[in-house]
Amino acid sequence: MTTVTQDPAAPGPSLESRGIRLGDVLFRGVAIVAAAAATALLGLIAYKVIEQAWPAIEHFGLSFVWTEAWNPVEDQYGALTFIYGTVVTSVIALLLATPISIAIALFLTEIAPRRIASPIATLVELLAAIPSVVLGLWGILVFGPWVAENLEPWLEKWLGFIPLFGGTFYQAGMLPAALVLTIMIVPITSAICRELFSRTPRDLTDGALALGSTRWEAIRGVMFAYAAPGIAAAVLLGLGRAFGEAIAVAQVIGGSDHINVSLFAPADTLGARIASQYQGATSPLQQGSLLYLGAILMVISLVTNVCAQLIVRRFEKQRRAV
Amino acid sequence: MSSTTPVPGDPFDITTRSNGLRRRRIVERLFGALAILSALAAVGILALVLGTVVAKGLDALNWDLFTKSRPLFGQEGGIADALIGSIIIVGMCMAMAIPFAVLVAIYMSEYASPRIATFLRLVLDILNGIPAIIVGIFVFGLLVVGHGQSAVYGAFALAILMLPMVARATQEVLDIVPRSQREASLALGVTKWRTTWNIILPSAIGGILTGVVIAVARVAGETAPLLFTSSIAANAVSFDVSHALPTLPVAIFAFSESPDPGEQAMGWAAALVLIAFVLVMNVLAKIFAGRKQRQLEGG
Amino acid sequence: MKKSLAAALALVALVVATVLATGATAAPTRSQAGTLTGAGATFPFPLISKWIPEVGKAYDINITYSPVGSGGGISAITARTVDFGASDAPLSSSQLDACKGCVVIPWALSATSVPYNIPGINGRLRLTGPLLAQIYMGEISNWNDQRLRAINPGRNLPDLKITPVFRSDGSGTTYNFTEYLSSVSRPWNDKVGFNTSVSFPTGVGARGSAGVAGVVRNTPGALTYVDVAYSLANKFSFATMRNSAGKYTTPGLRGIQAALSQLPNKVTSLSQLKIVNPPRSAGPLAYPIVTFTYVIVPTQSNKAADLRRFIYWAVTQGQKFGPPLLFQPLPKTVQAFAYREIKKIQGGT
Repeated sequence: MTTVTQDPAAPGPSLESRGIRLGDVLFRGVAIVAAAAATALLGLIAYKVIEQAWPAIEHFGLSFVWTEAWNPVEDQYGALTFIYGTVVTSVIALLLATPISIAIALFLTEIAPRRIASPIATLVELLAAIPSVVLGLWGILVFGPWVAENLEPWLEKWLGFIPLFGGTFYQAGMLPAALVLTIMIVPITSAICRELFSRTPRDLTDGALALGSTRWEAIRGVMFAYAAPGIAAAVLLGLGRAFGEAIAVAQVIGGSDHINVSLFAPADTLGARIASQYQGATSPLQQGSLLYLGAILMVISLVTNVCAQLIVRRFEKQRRAV
Repeated sequence: MSSTTPVPGDPFDITTRSNGLRRRRIVERLFGALAILSALAAVGILALVLGTVVAKGLDALNWDLFTKSRPLFGQEGGIADALIGSIIIVGMCMAMAIPFAVLVAIYMSEYASPRIATFLRLVLDILNGIPAIIVGIFVFGLLVVGHGQSAVYGAFALAILMLPMVARATQEVLDIVPRSQREASLALGVTKWRTTWNIILPSAIGGILTGVVIAVARVAGETAPLLFTSSIAANAVSFDVSHALPTLPVAIFAFSESPDPGEQAMGWAAALVLIAFVLVMNVLAKIFAGRKQRQLEGG
Repeated sequence: MKKSLAAALALVALVVATVLATGATAAPTRSQAGTLTGAGATFPFPLISKWIPEVGKAYDINITYSPVGSGGGISAITARTVDFGASDAPLSSSQLDACKGCVVIPWALSATSVPYNIPGINGRLRLTGPLLAQIYMGEISNWNDQRLRAINPGRNLPDLKITPVFRSDGSGTTYNFTEYLSSVSRPWNDKVGFNTSVSFPTGVGARGSAGVAGVVRNTPGALTYVDVAYSLANKFSFATMRNSAGKYTTPGLRGIQAALSQLPNKVTSLSQLKIVNPPRSAGPLAYPIVTFTYVIVPTQSNKAADLRRFIYWAVTQGQKFGPPLLFQPLPKTVQAFAYREIKKIQGGT
């Protein structure tokens, strides 16, 4: 049996060790609380939005989602116009932004010499930082009129046989909104693509080139294949951003209640409708309906976002395996 | 030359005659040209947007802008009240979000098990993707209803937007700090919390500041949350945070829809101020990132 | 390294401090004297803008007014997030219930003009209610339509698409305009109806009186409905509307005055203040799209004294600021009604 002799000159172990435990416990406790609060916040947001939308959810049920109506006189509301507007503007923005972003990313990583690439990359980063309200300001005062006076007549001239491009030219409508969204998404998506392309392992492309493929074939065959999940994630992230953009869209989309085939005509999206009508809702049911729109928007953007995150995570795993 | 038969159309078959090679070269040039053209066109358009804002903003800059407040109907005015309101609200937002975010990041990086850390990363990334207008509705329903608008609620809404950005940036930077630093410190008898606070955090400060600065730049321009929490405000400079304060983004939103050329000009000027701020923040971020890089390399 | 970081931070801090100092010293700050916060209709905003400095001088009350639209004003006062709300649309019974003890007081009177932007056309075009309804229903889509030319002989109406512009936010001006259309056009009444927010069959939406004015200013061929003060301020041409007497009238002071012919000698309830589309007996000058605009105040408020002072001033001395903006001073019967309602504001100091 060993006896533990205590050195009387040494500092009392009980005090110091108590101090250590307290500081550590406190700090760790605070950190845990913070992390738990962040998680709780997410749940609380979802809860609060649905709670405020509940009167309308109860009243209209699920048919709200495919009803095309917005009539405060008769208290009849439906989300179809806005879901249509959200989807169409975002999809058009994505269809335009994706190839442009890939082109910019390729240009910056493969084609441009370092001296040109650097300032252009900075420019694109700066554009990602432009607040959406400023883009909307530019949209109302400069871009919208230009679209109505130049772009829409040109589109009607060449593609007017498609109903999408017919009808009266408006300065506010689906088309300017989709184009503003494109301008918003391009910097974000191209930054992600640029990262992806610059991280492609050189030896894969070198191997393809050694086998005699041209540069474009190497890019297409190797780089795109390798980065495909990343590009998909970038696309989904851009889509999520486009879905959620309310302010700039509200400024240039024209606030219509009805679905119109023509892209030139005014329309509305989920976020934009909430932004323009929420303060002045005349009846509790209108308020609830606006929040029902918010709940739908939240669900759509959550699903898109989670899909993007899952793809990114699987991609990370894949990449580490390579 | 060889016994292999050329397979028509196979791009990797080097034994085909020059016809195939020519076609491939043409395709190569074509796509190359297309990539360059579309990239330049896109960048050109983007530069056009920036250039227009800067040009029109500069045109509208005058001293009145910074000394007068939002005008009443048919009068002259400026953006002094909105500018100050924005500074106050963003300042409060930073005070709310940054400590919280750093704590969450510390938890994820120092204390949490890998599975919890992954879960929290997902939570933060999802929070990051919530549209700003949903956050606005949330804070409106939670706080504004029954109590009225206030700058504090506006700052809170912006803090919710800022939290995931700063937390993720901090967590990534903390993860990069080598394990050896922690182990050495703990081996020397330093408590865990002191290790984190006095040793790990300071070496990560460059990355944290980068994340903060980028998040501030983004949050300073957000309009939707402020529409719901701080949009009914006085036409005068005020430091009273218990009421709504005017802010730059909301002011720009209002000016953008005005028919009055004077107010539109103020909108451009306010946009220029906002962009200048964002620009400065981005430059700061680069400085901090450079500092972080040098520190990491220097050990 | 450290130096450049410190320098950068110092620079930012310096800029922020300078801005704060400049703004704080140069711009007028709010004194701690009585403050009243209000929100609501954009319609009376031109007049309220004139009142604010005057009331500040007379009673040292700082008034804030945010023109967010009548719907926004009703919501805000119902939620008590402001001290007073303003609306051009009277409250429905369910809105009054929701407001829990609010009193609605008329404090100004003006007309809704119908301005348009037709390049090459100066001066006033003639329009009728039914035609306006057809335009807003999309049945008349071009300015050179036969029906428009028929009532405007000699005017060279161009081949230009009509873009009807409406208020996308909850608006008392929309209420006034759609109430008018409902009373003169059966199809409109059946298909669309009237409210502060309706489902417009066609056209472009914009927020606030400023918003619709902005769209008209930028869009050739556009047409909208907005308080006449906004048309004046933007130098728009606006239409002369045909009234029940068959005459085409303008939204001027005389036109507004004539529209009041149906007011009783003693006004006892808000429902008697419906003056849209006055009958033929109102005379040849009556403009058909006229509306009172109201302030909504809780009967129990801890700012009751300031509110009473403000509103009393507004309905008496404030009225003289109206005519240059084409706000007709309140008739005596309505003023008397307003005094009685103001007395209902109690509570607090």
